[in-house]
Amino acid sequence: MSVSTAQKRPAKRKSAREGASFLAALPWIGPALLLIFTIVVFPAGYMIYNSTRKISQVGTDLKGVGFDNFAKVFADPNLPRILLNTVVWVVVVVTLTVVISLALAQFLNKPFPGRTLVRMAVIVPWAASVVMTTTVFYYAMDPNYGIFNKFLTDIGLLDEGFGFTKNAVPAMAVAIVIAVFVSIPFTTYTILAGLQAIPGETLEAARVDGAGRWRTYISVILPQLRGALAVAVLINIINVFNNLPILKIITGSIPGYSADTLMTYIFKVLQFDRRLDISSALSVVNFAIVLVIVAIYVKTVKPMKEV
Amino acid sequence: MKKRNLRGAVVAGAAAAALLLTSCGFGGGGGTSDGGSSGSAGAVTTLDMLVPSYSDGTKALWEKVIKDFEAANSDVKVNLEMQSWENIEGVLKTKIQGNKAPDIYNGGAFAEFAAEGLLAPVTDVASEATVADFQPSFADNEKVDGTQYGLPLIASARALFYNKTLMKEAGITDVPKTWDELYTASKAISDKTKSDGYGMPLGNEEAQGESMIWFAGNGGNFGTGTAIEVDTPANLEAADFMQKMIKDGVTQKDPGATQRTPMLNTFIQGKLGFAYALPQTIGQIKTENPDLEYGVAPVATKTGTPATLGVADRLMSFKNDGSKAASVKKFMDYFFSADVYTNWVSTEGFLPTTKSGGEKLAGDETLKPFLDMLPSAVFYPTTNPAWNATDGAFKSLMGQIATGKSAADVLKEIQAKADAAK
Repeated sequence: MSVSTAQKRPAKRKSAREGASFLAALPWIGPALLLIFTIVVFPAGYMIYNSTRKISQVGTDLKGVGFDNFAKVFADPNLPRILLNTVVWVVVVVTLTVVISLALAQFLNKPFPGRTLVRMAVIVPWAASVVMTTTVFYYAMDPNYGIFNKFLTDIGLLDEGFGFTKNAVPAMAVAIVIAVFVSIPFTTYTILAGLQAIPGETLEAARVDGAGRWRTYISVILPQLRGALAVAVLINIINVFNNLPILKIITGSIPGYSADTLMTYIFKVLQFDRRLDISSALSVVNFAIVLVIVAIYVKTVKPMKEV
Repeated sequence: MKKRNLRGAVVAGAAAAALLLTSCGFGGGGGTSDGGSSGSAGAVTTLDMLVPSYSDGTKALWEKVIKDFEAANSDVKVNLEMQSWENIEGVLKTKIQGNKAPDIYNGGAFAEFAAEGLLAPVTDVASEATVADFQPSFADNEKVDGTQYGLPLIASARALFYNKTLMKEAGITDVPKTWDELYTASKAISDKTKSDGYGMPLGNEEAQGESMIWFAGNGGNFGTGTAIEVDTPANLEAADFMQKMIKDGVTQKDPGATQRTPMLNTFIQGKLGFAYALPQTIGQIKTENPDLEYGVAPVATKTGTPATLGVADRLMSFKNDGSKAASVKKFMDYFFSADVYTNWVSTEGFLPTTKSGGEKLAGDETLKPFLDMLPSAVFYPTTNPAWNATDGAFKSLMGQIATGKSAADVLKEIQAKADAAK
């Protein structure tokens, strides 16, 4: 939807001749538009449609109920805790990821022997399947046979294995560590690309003017990283907000909803309550939240503004 | 101007990415019906079969049944799809939504499918002789409004498994028969040995089963085919006692997040005093730790009167356009013939539901303690259309009694979910 308005806007403002050239371009952009329609617009539309229906537990569409499902969603006593969890989850993961990646990118930007190897090693968590990585962590944290628990008991920190993934708060912390771990490669490489695009003259000029290292970083390097950081933060927010595999594996066995984010809650409503209609309504809310975050972000940070 | 366009494109791109990511839960609608392929006589009919795995050997067992069946019936092909118990109902729902319901399905709950007219009555998909061979008590469990929709595949019951070595170490001589005895014995093992006393799996794999065993031990259940009744005084008393076991530390750690399979592995390794387990556990112990000194006894109940959870799973057939009923009938008649069926059931370690199968397995010693318990078994109210939601509510909520929420609140919450599903 938003895709087509974005393309219409310039077409409307410009002359009719240019409008005709848009038509002429259609055969070339047509396949892409078709793809976007079938895998993005149609499913989203279907989801919104489902959120206004009453759907039986086995999946047959019974009748339209207007906004009843949304009323149920907002009256849900579990929602405040879930939204709080979601905010903590997104803010902590994205902040930690960006801070660690900034440091890591700075390090990888300096020439040193074996840099290529280290750069390749940083990609590994990205290359491995998230489900696989998370499962490895999950087993390592198991209280009875997890290698991590065994290590902690062997060095005497714990008397016996602790259920890191069995209680809401520690499980959330473990999930955050894993999410940061798998988000770092992409973020680091985006920032690294930004660092390499900084002209040497600006750094030299800062040095000539007598700026210290820290001052150079804050006033010269960081502003020039704006574009790279904007992309990294935006993609990370959307990705982390919508993350299911990590949370489902790590916090999935915890009873109740004390460790759920909006995404895992949607999944539980679908899997255990079998409410396709309610989970569709929740998904619409989820989607609206992401759109609002992105809109606020684009409006305030102005990622495309040149320095 | 150019800058504006770029910004517009970023917004649009981000919106598209957000859509793409938020909508990834969408499970393929708009699928087409593939019922037309079985038209002419002599053509090969393909049956889609969706089954869960009961054990590591389930797939091979079904593959053998299908291979032998196809060898005898060249006009029918069976397309086998295996899923884990955790995923199978989600997969099924997606298939129903896409008009690709399986022709043969092995599952637990079936009443809601029958209520919506999706299932074929057994008389359409099995011969009279096959239908008449089921034991009446099981066949009755498969009926909605007098019509039988399911072909009972397996029966099972839970029993108390106890570790003799740990009991001796803790100075316990008698196998517990009542709740209080189980409490005392578990406490002794927890205190005097390095192992945990009682294993209580309230994670989302077994919460409903474990709860039912305890509720049944106090004369309770989950309700009937017409009304789900979870929040009752008898059930609450049982739930309170479960919570007491957890609070006093006579169970393993974090029962609310414990799954049955890994927990039974610790029993098999000899690190758990007591646990409720299944007939298959005996086979597992035989292969994985044959030296384990253990015994099997009836479930401990409040007063000592026998009660246990009985489970029956069934095969059912989704109607679709009805063109494959004759082929499904061939398969069912073949599968439930005494030799094929008893081999399947006994290899999986379950109890048979057919008369001919029962006669064939009567002398099996492994199955005897469980066969004895079947008369006192309480079943899930699977014919209640709200059962699926109740089952889901137990799986996601019951474990909260281990994280500090009061048992009364938890039962109320489960009851509310069941009531909302009507």
